[in-house]
Amino acid sequence: MSQNTATVPDERLVKGNHDFASITKLISDIPQQKTPLWWYIAFGISNILLAVMLAMVVWLIWEGIGVWGLNQPVGWAWDITNFVWWVGIGHAGTLISAILFLFRQGWRTAINRFAEAMTIFAVMCAGLFPAIHVGRIWTIYWIFPLPNSMQLWPNFNSPLLWDVFAVFTYLTVSTLFWYVGLVPDLATMRDKVKGKISKMVYGAFALGWTGGNRQWQHYEKAYMILAGLATPLVLSVHTIVSFDFAVSIIPGWHTTIFPPYFVAGAIFSGFAMVLTLMIISRKLYGLEDIMTVDHIEKMNIIILVTGMMVGFAYAMEFFIAWYGGFEYEKFIFINRALGPYAWAYWTMITCNVVAPQFFWVKKFRRNIALTFALSIVINIGMWFERFVIVVSSLATDYLPSSWGYFSPTYVDVLTYVGTFGLFLTFFLLFMRFLPMVAIAEIKAVLPQANPAYYRSQNGHSSKSE
Amino acid sequence: MGKEQQQTYWRSLNELAQNEEYRKFAEREFPENATELSDGVSRRNFLQIMGASVALAGLAACRKPVQKIMPYTRQPEHMVPGIPLYYASAAPFRGNLNGIIVETNEGRPTKIEGNDLHPESKGRTNIRQQAAILELYDQDRSRRIRRNGESSSWDDFVAFCRDHFADTGRRVAFISESSSSPTLDRLRNKALDKFPNGRWVTFETYNDESVTTGTGMVFGRRLRPLYHFDKARVTLSLNDDFLQDSDNDVAYIGAFAQSKSVPDPDARPSRLYVAESNYSLTGSNADHRLRIKSSEIPLFVFALAARLSEDVSGLESYSGYHNTFSDHSWIPVLAKELLDNRGQSIITAGAEHDAAVHATVHAMNLALGNAGQSVSYLDVPYVAQTNQNHAFRELVDDMKAGSIDTVVMIGTNPVYSAPADLDFEGALNGISEKIHLSLHYDETSRTSNWHVNRAHFLETWGDGHSWTGVRSVIQPMIQPLFGGKSEVEFLAAIVDGEDTGGYELVRDTWRELLPGGFESSWNEVLHDGLQKDTRYPEVTVSRATAFQALAAEFLVVRRDEPSDAVELVIKADPKLHDGRFANNGWLQELPDPMTKITWDNVALLSPNTAERFGIPPARKFGDPNQQVIRITTPGGAETEIPAWVLPGHADNSITLYTGYGRQGIGRVADQVGVDTYNLRTTENRLFVTGVEVNRAGRTYVIASTQDHHSMEERPLVRDADLDYYRENPTFAQDAVYVPGIYGDREHPVSLFSDKVFPDHEPQWGMAIDLNSCIGCGVCTIACQAENNIPVIGKREVRRGREMHWIRTDRYFSGDDRGNPKVMHQPVPCMHCENAPCEQVCPVAATTHSDDGLNQMTYNRCIGTRYCANNCPYKVRRFNFFNYSREYLTTGDDPEIIQMAMNPDVTIRFRGVMEKCTYCVQRISRAKIDTKNKTGDSVKPPDGMVKTACQQACPANAITFGDLTDKNSVVSIQKSKDRNYVILEELNVRPRTSYLAKIRNPNREVSEQS
Repeated sequence: MSQNTATVPDERLVKGNHDFASITKLISDIPQQKTPLWWYIAFGISNILLAVMLAMVVWLIWEGIGVWGLNQPVGWAWDITNFVWWVGIGHAGTLISAILFLFRQGWRTAINRFAEAMTIFAVMCAGLFPAIHVGRIWTIYWIFPLPNSMQLWPNFNSPLLWDVFAVFTYLTVSTLFWYVGLVPDLATMRDKVKGKISKMVYGAFALGWTGGNRQWQHYEKAYMILAGLATPLVLSVHTIVSFDFAVSIIPGWHTTIFPPYFVAGAIFSGFAMVLTLMIISRKLYGLEDIMTVDHIEKMNIIILVTGMMVGFAYAMEFFIAWYGGFEYEKFIFINRALGPYAWAYWTMITCNVVAPQFFWVKKFRRNIALTFALSIVINIGMWFERFVIVVSSLATDYLPSSWGYFSPTYVDVLTYVGTFGLFLTFFLLFMRFLPMVAIAEIKAVLPQANPAYYRSQNGHSSKSE
Repeated sequence: MGKEQQQTYWRSLNELAQNEEYRKFAEREFPENATELSDGVSRRNFLQIMGASVALAGLAACRKPVQKIMPYTRQPEHMVPGIPLYYASAAPFRGNLNGIIVETNEGRPTKIEGNDLHPESKGRTNIRQQAAILELYDQDRSRRIRRNGESSSWDDFVAFCRDHFADTGRRVAFISESSSSPTLDRLRNKALDKFPNGRWVTFETYNDESVTTGTGMVFGRRLRPLYHFDKARVTLSLNDDFLQDSDNDVAYIGAFAQSKSVPDPDARPSRLYVAESNYSLTGSNADHRLRIKSSEIPLFVFALAARLSEDVSGLESYSGYHNTFSDHSWIPVLAKELLDNRGQSIITAGAEHDAAVHATVHAMNLALGNAGQSVSYLDVPYVAQTNQNHAFRELVDDMKAGSIDTVVMIGTNPVYSAPADLDFEGALNGISEKIHLSLHYDETSRTSNWHVNRAHFLETWGDGHSWTGVRSVIQPMIQPLFGGKSEVEFLAAIVDGEDTGGYELVRDTWRELLPGGFESSWNEVLHDGLQKDTRYPEVTVSRATAFQALAAEFLVVRRDEPSDAVELVIKADPKLHDGRFANNGWLQELPDPMTKITWDNVALLSPNTAERFGIPPARKFGDPNQQVIRITTPGGAETEIPAWVLPGHADNSITLYTGYGRQGIGRVADQVGVDTYNLRTTENRLFVTGVEVNRAGRTYVIASTQDHHSMEERPLVRDADLDYYRENPTFAQDAVYVPGIYGDREHPVSLFSDKVFPDHEPQWGMAIDLNSCIGCGVCTIACQAENNIPVIGKREVRRGREMHWIRTDRYFSGDDRGNPKVMHQPVPCMHCENAPCEQVCPVAATTHSDDGLNQMTYNRCIGTRYCANNCPYKVRRFNFFNYSREYLTTGDDPEIIQMAMNPDVTIRFRGVMEKCTYCVQRISRAKIDTKNKTGDSVKPPDGMVKTACQQACPANAITFGDLTDKNSVVSIQKSKDRNYVILEELNVRPRTSYLAKIRNPNREVSEQS
């Protein structure tokens, strides 16, 4: 390659003067260090929240669904809002792991482990709500197609059944994918840790990984296959979640735009959640060299793109409501913007459409404090998006006589807040005991991983060669 | 059980009660004053009826809840377990009976229907009759006789009577509720004979005294007017809610609906004009409605009479009279209508208006030739010859003066409901012996020395006459649950000093009344529920000579109130009446037909008046908090009550309902609403003018079942004026464009097979005629009784979780602030052929039956609520809590309310969805019966299956039947041009359809607000 056609070199993905050893040390040291005080505090708070959630769930099951604020037109409210919200957050992980992997996006390596863990815990939080929202949880196994003497099968026409399959599949594949990626790093941990028990535990989960050539070959193939399997799931889960609404007959729900709109929204909120968590943990664990401002900027660009898609979908819904000429749909959209739930609608618009516009400006995209703030704003906005869809459509549907306003009870609120306890408890345990960056994978994007590295004169990466 | 007791079923109960040996046993086992064991009493009677041996009854007292199924050692005649028995009886209200048929399951009355043979019931009922079942099983009914608050016994009471009333010189005052009972009348005469210083006063909180006094003024005789709405072309109601607040409402609603019916475009429906202050149910069915203060009604009536006097004779006293309403635009219009329809018009006025108003109304009816045609006048022997309101006031004065020794009160509750200025409680306190018979240990009971717990009409023998004088016997369906006594037994004890059973008392009376062989006639009366060819004699009336002078007096004393003075109108509650039904959960939870409020009374006022007092004229959607106002009458009486804006209410007028704010009555009645009787006085029975209104500065939560009151221009209730309908007979079907329907297609084009069902007969369907429906809500109560629907309480209703399977939607339309029209629409499950609920249930808990029912399988339901969300009609009801358990197992005596349950209908557990089933249990029974009869067919003949709502509806608005039978009534209804389904464009294909409402307005009326 001649000198005058040289491309602009990419920014280095890992900052600082790291080599393989320092990367290994940087990441594998985290679980081995003494547990920091802040972790105990955070874990304590998370546990309290988790206990609150459990108490609320027990109360709900003991007393009945009536402890929530649901009423006759509004049969779903915070329960399904929270479900869709958490599932949406769970989207980022698999997208980063699988789709970006298939697209050979090297920058994913800094955040994929982290995002996948978030995905699994978010899907766990999500899965809680469909389970507890039923009136008789002790019969919930009837939704599974279990052979029985009465030949009673679930209703395969029901989107709620599709949901069950979609979410379970997603959880299974995400967990497998995450675990397969973890195996080489678990072996690293096994080799590093001092304690006998921890060595045994890490060793057991490392499945006898030695880092041999054949193992790497199998690993790479398995990872590729799982990435291939996970990719359609990224699109399918939220598509199917959106079918819960799109397949129904209720104006505001019965909308064909929902599948792509929901997927875009899910990625939007998932990336925002990854950012929220990442910005905190990179600071706390000194991982700024790995999770760099460049990463944040790239993610902000995705947020901007998906945010615009979501905004487009909002506009499109209005257009179709007018263009479709269906009185009831027209009403519901006007009512969303001007009716009793206008406050929720405009919160949603502000958070989801207006807020991401900052990211047109490079300076803002690279501003960590602003990114952190906006990532939270976006997730608030996305929660309201689901709330607006679920509640405002039900509250004012076909027969005005049945219209009713939904107000949450303390149980609604505390159950939702409590799921953060569930999420953070698991997440803190993950940060404490597992390598939160894929050590093996991040090494692959170091300059040293380039076979040409050691041949180069200056010892620095030179991709132009 | 003795041999004699096997003779007839009901007789055996009576005999059993007399069984001395059994009674001793019962007393030993369950001391009367041991309240914690008192549930044993009811349980015992229950078992008894089941035919269990007396010895087994003791099982109920076991400490552990042992439940055993008792086999009949000897099966009672006619009784097959699981097959209900039906008995004819009659339901009294304010002294008038209406024929009913009671369904009993293994001895438990569970449902009341109208008696087809009865000319007034015609098989139909009203909300009070439907709710009587719950009244019977009211755990809070008084369970024992009390002497000065302490438990006593019937024997003690009888002994007391023997002793106390031995002195026949006593000045005894009997205060009775109204009654048309020949037996009570016989005892009354006996009592008045026995006590020469005795006096008998009828006290009824709301009564017809003004009406009969009015007839007395015009005709010289106190008569009862009977309106024939089916014969009327034009009806003018002056503040008279005759569709609801009437003793003859069942017959009136039926006749009114018939006169309004529009079977085809050539029909000539009648026309109803209503002038009223409150927006009443009758007003909501009017073709023209005038908002006018109640205090202005007399002026309006006299102005109309003056106008009519120009054209008809007999109203001479009014000629030349002029007041502020003489130039009102309605006067000439009404005059023309009434004159054009002489002999075919009716003028009615609210019963609580002055006698002067009624006299004028009767005089107009007579002058217009309506008397004897569309209005009959009946000579009712049970109507006292003097104004009982005056008699009651005189009695109270005498009580205060100390000229009364003993007061016997039969069924009334004057301490609670008597006019406040009389201070009846104070007067009663000065009496040495006060004896009170009542269902509940109520306000009057607590002031009395003796309280005798009354037996419910379903528990005792009794008799009486219907509004038109059809004579019936009231049969007991069950032994008194709490050992209560009927009014005749009570009075017999007082008069004779002996314990005589109601059975003997009634039979003794009827021996005189029945011609021919007594036993066979008696059995016939019991079987039919009425004595044939009995009726009050109709009187041909003529104007009394004294009327001219009286009428002249009416016109003199009227003083004009300033038009911005605020009047307060006090009326009987549409559901609780004067408060006697306050402990009835079904009635408390039934949404008021106009406001849709449950569990409370409010101050109704117009949007303009609300604004005048600084109350927002429109309620905020979803906000249950209402401003509380303080109302002070010129007499200084004061109350604080939440304000409720009712569009269409007259300006500067406030309507209050009575019957609320009870204390210490029962778990349902207590603390519900506000007691408004302190504002009602002898002089101001209906209205008080010049009240002062202030905001109390606080809010109060009101549970209303309908938050939004406009149809948002959606074609849900379709209505048209008669002229428009004649030009566009299919206007209702053309109201919406349904894509994909062309040519003769019944349904839109589909990619899939059009046919959703297997070839199966029958296919069930329902049609609801909105032109007949008046919006009374009896369908809701009938459904609640039939389908074991729990009462959930105010808190849950406020949260929007009411469980009624059929609701009546009420919409305002037109100029909201002025005089909006009101439309009523009963909404049960639509049983969509292409049901959206069925498609989304993940566990297939809601599916379609071969005969076209949208079924709900409670056992399979896991409670996702997805079906309810996806129901466009929002008719599905979710058990958010274990409502049935709360409803059926709380209280010290849950077994009592459990007895009210229909054994054919499953009790729903919490967490499951429920909804209208088209009364599938009735369908199943009809199918089984049909198959038993025919051998193979499961297609019951048309009319054999009646849903509970259909059967109860006095307007005959609901038809139900087989759609594959083209000659069935429902098929004929559905083939009419007014037939339409709501939300047809969704292609869910509802089986429940509606027939559009046709209004018959007069083009000459300029609507005034």
